[in-house]
Amino acid sequence: MRSSIFLLLLWSGAVLAHSWTPTYPSFIPSYVEGVHVTNMILLNKRKDVKYYSVDVLTEDFEKVKFVSTSTVYNVDYLQRKSIPIFVREADLPKVMYICSRSEFIKESFPSNKVSSRVCSKIKQ
Amino acid sequence: MFRKLLVCAVFSASVAAENIPINGTVEGNCIVVPDVSGVYGNPAVDTLSTATADGGILPVVRYDVIIADYYKAVITTPTSFSEAPMLDDVVNWTGGAAVHEVSDPGMSAYDTEKVEYNSTTEFDLTIAGSTWFEMESKAEYGFGKPFPGGNYTAMVEANCIAK
Repeated sequence: MRSSIFLLLLWSGAVLAHSWTPTYPSFIPSYVEGVHVTNMILLNKRKDVKYYSVDVLTEDFEKVKFVSTSTVYNVDYLQRKSIPIFVREADLPKVMYICSRSEFIKESFPSNKVSSRVCSKIKQ
Repeated sequence: MFRKLLVCAVFSASVAAENIPINGTVEGNCIVVPDVSGVYGNPAVDTLSTATADGGILPVVRYDVIIADYYKAVITTPTSFSEAPMLDDVVNWTGGAAVHEVSDPGMSAYDTEKVEYNSTTEFDLTIAGSTWFEMESKAEYGFGKPFPGGNYTAMVEANCIAK
Protein backbone atom coordinates (compact mmCIF):
# COMPACT_ATOMS: atom_id res chain seq x y z
CA MET A 1 0.00 0.00 0.00
CA ARG A 2 2.78 2.39 1.02
CA SER A 3 4.73 1.71 -2.16
CA SER A 4 1.69 2.43 -4.31
CA ILE A 5 1.15 5.73 -2.51
CA PHE A 6 4.82 6.55 -3.04
CA LEU A 7 4.55 5.77 -6.76
CA LEU A 8 1.47 7.96 -6.95
CA LEU A 9 3.38 10.79 -5.33
CA LEU A 10 6.23 10.36 -7.77
CA TRP A 11 3.79 10.46 -10.65
CA SER A 12 1.90 13.50 -9.40
CA GLY A 13 5.16 15.33 -8.74
CA ALA A 14 6.41 14.72 -12.22
CA VAL A 15 5.18 18.09 -13.48
CA LEU A 16 7.89 20.05 -11.67
CA ALA A 17 10.73 17.63 -11.13
CA HIS A 18 14.40 17.65 -12.00
CA SER A 19 16.20 14.32 -12.32
CA TRP A 20 19.91 13.63 -12.90
CA THR A 21 21.21 10.07 -13.23
CA PRO A 22 23.12 7.83 -12.71
CA THR A 23 23.63 8.37 -8.99
CA TYR A 24 27.11 6.85 -9.03
CA PRO A 25 28.67 7.33 -12.48
CA SER A 26 32.12 6.06 -13.37
CA PHE A 27 34.59 7.34 -15.95
CA ILE A 28 35.95 5.19 -18.75
CA PRO A 29 38.75 5.98 -21.22
CA SER A 30 37.46 8.01 -24.16
CA TYR A 31 38.57 7.99 -27.79
CA VAL A 32 41.01 10.79 -26.91
CA GLU A 33 44.19 9.60 -25.21
CA GLY A 34 44.54 10.81 -21.61
CA VAL A 35 40.88 11.84 -21.43
CA HIS A 36 38.10 9.92 -19.65
CA VAL A 37 34.38 10.17 -20.24
CA THR A 38 31.09 9.44 -18.52
CA ASN A 39 27.53 9.95 -19.71
CA MET A 40 24.89 11.62 -17.58
CA ILE A 41 21.15 11.77 -18.22
CA LEU A 42 19.18 14.93 -17.47
CA LEU A 43 15.42 14.70 -17.40
CA ASN A 44 13.55 17.99 -17.22
CA LYS A 45 10.12 17.70 -15.69
CA ARG A 46 10.08 21.32 -14.57
CA LYS A 47 7.74 23.33 -16.78
CA ASP A 48 9.21 26.55 -15.41
CA VAL A 49 12.82 25.70 -16.31
CA LYS A 50 14.39 25.46 -19.77
CA TYR A 51 18.07 25.74 -18.95
CA TYR A 52 20.40 23.62 -16.86
CA SER A 53 24.08 24.12 -16.16
CA VAL A 54 26.51 21.29 -15.48
CA ASP A 55 29.50 21.33 -13.14
CA VAL A 56 32.23 18.90 -12.22
CA LEU A 57 33.32 19.40 -8.61
CA THR A 58 35.83 18.26 -6.02
CA GLU A 59 34.98 16.95 -2.56
CA ASP A 60 34.94 20.59 -1.37
CA PHE A 61 32.68 21.67 -4.25
CA GLU A 62 35.46 23.44 -6.09
CA LYS A 63 35.21 23.39 -9.87
CA VAL A 64 37.24 20.95 -11.94
CA LYS A 65 37.92 21.64 -15.62
CA PHE A 66 35.88 19.48 -17.94
CA VAL A 67 34.67 19.44 -21.50
CA SER A 68 31.19 18.72 -22.76
CA THR A 69 29.05 19.74 -25.67
CA SER A 70 28.00 22.82 -23.66
CA THR A 71 28.05 24.13 -20.10
CA VAL A 72 24.45 25.35 -20.19
CA TYR A 73 21.89 23.10 -21.85
CA ASN A 74 18.55 24.05 -23.28
CA VAL A 75 16.33 21.16 -22.16
CA ASP A 76 12.65 21.42 -22.98
CA TYR A 77 9.90 20.24 -20.67
CA LEU A 78 9.81 16.41 -20.52
CA GLN A 79 12.95 16.18 -22.65
CA ARG A 80 15.67 13.70 -21.70
CA LYS A 81 19.19 14.69 -22.64
CA SER A 82 22.33 12.58 -22.63
CA ILE A 83 25.30 14.70 -21.56
CA PRO A 84 28.87 13.43 -22.06
CA ILE A 85 31.42 14.69 -19.54
CA PHE A 86 35.09 14.55 -20.52
CA VAL A 87 37.77 14.96 -17.84
CA ARG A 88 41.56 14.76 -18.13
CA GLU A 89 43.04 11.61 -16.62
CA ALA A 90 45.25 13.78 -14.39
CA ASP A 91 42.18 15.49 -12.91
CA LEU A 92 40.25 12.28 -12.23
CA PRO A 93 41.47 11.79 -8.61
CA LYS A 94 40.06 15.24 -7.76
CA VAL A 95 36.61 14.64 -9.22
CA MET A 96 33.93 13.79 -6.66
CA TYR A 97 30.62 15.21 -7.92
CA ILE A 98 28.92 15.93 -11.23
CA CYS A 99 26.00 18.29 -10.73
CA SER A 100 23.23 19.80 -12.79
CA ARG A 101 21.51 23.00 -11.70
CA SER A 102 18.40 24.75 -12.96
CA GLU A 103 19.12 28.16 -14.47
CA PHE A 104 16.72 31.01 -15.03
CA ILE A 105 16.62 33.88 -17.45
CA LYS A 106 16.51 37.14 -15.49
CA GLU A 107 13.27 38.20 -17.17
CA SER A 108 11.47 34.98 -16.31
CA PHE A 109 12.13 33.94 -12.73
CA PRO A 110 9.91 31.01 -11.78
CA SER A 111 6.92 31.65 -9.59
CA ASN A 112 8.06 29.03 -7.06
CA LYS A 113 11.47 30.67 -6.57
CA VAL A 114 13.32 27.39 -6.05
CA SER A 115 16.56 26.59 -7.79
CA SER A 116 17.19 22.84 -7.89
CA ARG A 117 20.55 21.12 -8.05
CA VAL A 118 21.16 17.36 -8.13
CA CYS A 119 24.67 15.97 -7.71
CA SER A 120 25.87 12.49 -8.58
CA LYS A 121 28.93 11.07 -6.85
CA ILE A 122 31.75 9.39 -8.74
CA LYS A 123 31.99 5.67 -8.08
CA GLN A 124 35.36 5.18 -6.35
CA MET B 1 12.15 -35.91 -42.59
CA PHE B 2 10.07 -32.75 -42.52
CA ARG B 3 8.29 -33.93 -39.32
CA LYS B 4 11.69 -34.59 -37.66
CA LEU B 5 12.89 -31.14 -38.58
CA LEU B 6 9.71 -29.57 -37.21
CA VAL B 7 10.04 -31.42 -33.89
CA CYS B 8 13.67 -30.36 -33.72
CA ALA B 9 12.74 -26.73 -34.40
CA VAL B 10 9.98 -26.74 -31.78
CA PHE B 11 12.36 -28.32 -29.26
CA SER B 12 15.12 -25.79 -29.87
CA ALA B 13 12.60 -22.91 -29.69
CA SER B 14 11.29 -24.15 -26.36
CA VAL B 15 14.82 -24.41 -24.96
CA ALA B 16 15.59 -20.87 -26.13
CA ALA B 17 12.34 -19.56 -24.64
CA GLU B 18 13.14 -21.01 -21.22
CA ASN B 19 16.46 -19.23 -21.14
CA ILE B 20 15.42 -15.71 -22.00
CA PRO B 21 16.46 -13.63 -19.04
CA ILE B 22 14.56 -10.62 -17.82
CA ASN B 23 16.94 -8.14 -16.31
CA GLY B 24 15.99 -5.17 -14.24
CA THR B 25 17.85 -2.58 -12.26
CA VAL B 26 16.44 -0.25 -9.66
CA GLU B 27 18.70 2.76 -9.77
CA GLY B 28 19.07 5.26 -7.02
CA ASN B 29 17.49 8.50 -8.06
CA CYS B 30 16.67 11.77 -6.39
CA ILE B 31 13.92 13.98 -7.72
CA VAL B 32 13.58 17.56 -6.52
CA VAL B 33 10.06 18.92 -6.80
CA PRO B 34 9.23 22.57 -5.97
CA ASP B 35 5.79 22.11 -4.43
CA VAL B 36 4.51 25.39 -2.95
CA SER B 37 5.50 28.84 -4.12
CA GLY B 38 6.91 31.06 -1.41
CA VAL B 39 5.65 34.59 -0.87
CA TYR B 40 7.21 37.34 1.22
CA GLY B 41 4.94 39.10 3.66
CA ASN B 42 5.79 42.68 4.67
CA PRO B 43 4.93 42.82 8.41
CA ALA B 44 7.06 45.94 9.00
CA VAL B 45 8.52 48.56 6.66
CA ASP B 46 12.01 47.13 7.04
CA THR B 47 11.07 43.41 6.96
CA LEU B 48 10.21 40.82 4.35
CA SER B 49 9.36 37.40 5.72
CA THR B 50 7.87 34.13 4.46
CA ALA B 51 6.57 33.25 7.96
CA THR B 52 2.82 32.70 8.08
CA ALA B 53 2.58 34.97 11.13
CA ASP B 54 4.16 37.75 9.03
CA GLY B 55 1.65 37.34 6.21
CA GLY B 56 3.97 35.28 4.05
CA ILE B 57 3.79 31.81 2.55
CA LEU B 58 6.52 29.28 3.26
CA PRO B 59 7.94 27.68 0.11
CA VAL B 60 7.84 23.88 0.16
CA VAL B 61 10.09 21.51 -1.77
CA ARG B 62 9.55 17.78 -2.03
CA TYR B 63 12.40 15.29 -2.29
CA ASP B 64 11.66 11.84 -3.68
CA VAL B 65 14.33 9.19 -3.19
CA ILE B 66 13.92 5.73 -4.65
CA ILE B 67 16.59 4.00 -2.54
CA ALA B 68 17.30 4.74 1.11
CA ASP B 69 20.57 6.29 2.27
CA TYR B 70 21.85 7.30 -1.19
CA TYR B 71 21.34 11.06 -0.95
CA LYS B 72 21.29 14.04 1.38
CA ALA B 73 19.11 17.12 0.98
CA VAL B 74 21.04 20.37 1.28
CA ILE B 75 18.78 23.42 1.37
CA THR B 76 20.15 26.95 1.25
CA THR B 77 17.88 29.87 2.02
CA PRO B 78 18.49 33.21 0.26
CA THR B 79 21.29 35.59 1.18
CA SER B 80 20.57 38.07 -1.61
CA PHE B 81 17.75 39.16 -3.88
CA SER B 82 17.83 37.99 -7.46
CA GLU B 83 15.43 40.78 -8.36
CA ALA B 84 14.85 43.95 -6.33
CA PRO B 85 14.72 47.74 -6.62
CA MET B 86 17.98 49.64 -6.04
CA LEU B 87 19.08 49.05 -2.44
CA ASP B 88 21.69 51.32 -0.87
CA ASP B 89 21.94 49.70 2.56
CA VAL B 90 22.74 46.29 4.00
CA VAL B 91 20.13 43.53 4.05
CA ASN B 92 20.37 41.12 6.98
CA TRP B 93 19.20 37.62 6.12
CA THR B 94 18.03 34.82 8.37
CA GLY B 95 16.37 31.54 7.45
CA GLY B 96 16.22 27.82 7.80
CA ALA B 97 14.55 24.65 6.64
CA ALA B 98 12.41 22.09 8.45
CA VAL B 99 10.48 18.93 7.69
CA HIS B 100 6.91 19.78 6.68
CA GLU B 101 5.37 16.42 5.67
CA VAL B 102 6.61 12.85 5.35
CA SER B 103 5.57 9.68 3.52
CA ASP B 104 7.14 7.49 6.22
CA PRO B 105 6.82 8.21 9.97
CA GLY B 106 10.54 7.49 10.46
CA MET B 107 11.39 10.58 8.42
CA SER B 108 10.19 12.80 11.27
CA ALA B 109 13.61 12.20 12.84
CA TYR B 110 15.22 14.17 10.01
CA ASP B 111 14.43 17.38 11.89
CA THR B 112 16.29 16.37 15.04
CA GLU B 113 19.26 15.04 13.07
CA LYS B 114 19.62 17.98 10.68
CA VAL B 115 22.87 19.93 10.46
CA GLU B 116 22.72 23.73 10.15
CA TYR B 117 25.51 26.09 9.12
CA ASN B 118 25.40 29.61 7.70
CA SER B 119 22.18 29.70 5.68
CA THR B 120 22.29 26.00 4.83
CA THR B 121 20.46 23.02 6.36
CA GLU B 122 21.45 19.42 5.63
CA PHE B 123 19.14 16.44 5.99
CA ASP B 124 20.33 12.85 5.63
CA LEU B 125 17.72 11.05 3.51
CA THR B 126 18.02 7.65 5.19
CA ILE B 127 14.55 6.38 4.25
CA ALA B 128 13.14 5.82 0.76
CA GLY B 129 10.07 7.88 -0.05
CA SER B 130 8.96 11.50 -0.17
CA THR B 131 9.83 14.25 2.26
CA TRP B 132 8.47 17.78 2.09
CA PHE B 133 10.68 20.54 3.47
CA GLU B 134 9.52 24.08 4.21
CA MET B 135 11.86 27.04 4.20
CA GLU B 136 11.65 30.22 6.21
CA SER B 137 13.40 33.33 4.94
CA LYS B 138 13.55 36.77 6.50
CA ALA B 139 15.21 39.91 5.14
CA GLU B 140 15.68 43.02 7.27
CA TYR B 141 16.81 46.24 5.64
CA GLY B 142 19.39 48.52 7.23
CA PHE B 143 18.53 49.72 10.74
CA GLY B 144 14.75 49.99 10.61
CA LYS B 145 14.97 51.42 7.08
CA PRO B 146 11.91 50.97 4.84
CA PHE B 147 12.34 48.72 1.80
CA PRO B 148 11.84 50.74 -1.41
CA GLY B 149 8.62 49.91 -3.28
CA GLY B 150 8.90 47.30 -6.03
CA ASN B 151 9.14 43.60 -6.69
CA TYR B 152 11.47 41.42 -4.66
CA THR B 153 12.53 37.92 -5.63
CA ALA B 154 14.96 35.63 -3.83
CA MET B 155 15.84 32.07 -4.68
CA VAL B 156 15.95 29.05 -2.40
CA GLU B 157 18.53 26.47 -3.51
CA ALA B 158 17.36 22.88 -3.12
CA ASN B 159 20.29 20.47 -3.56
CA CYS B 160 20.18 16.71 -3.62
CA ILE B 161 23.69 15.34 -3.24
CA ALA B 162 24.72 11.70 -3.56
CA LYS B 163 26.47 10.32 -0.46
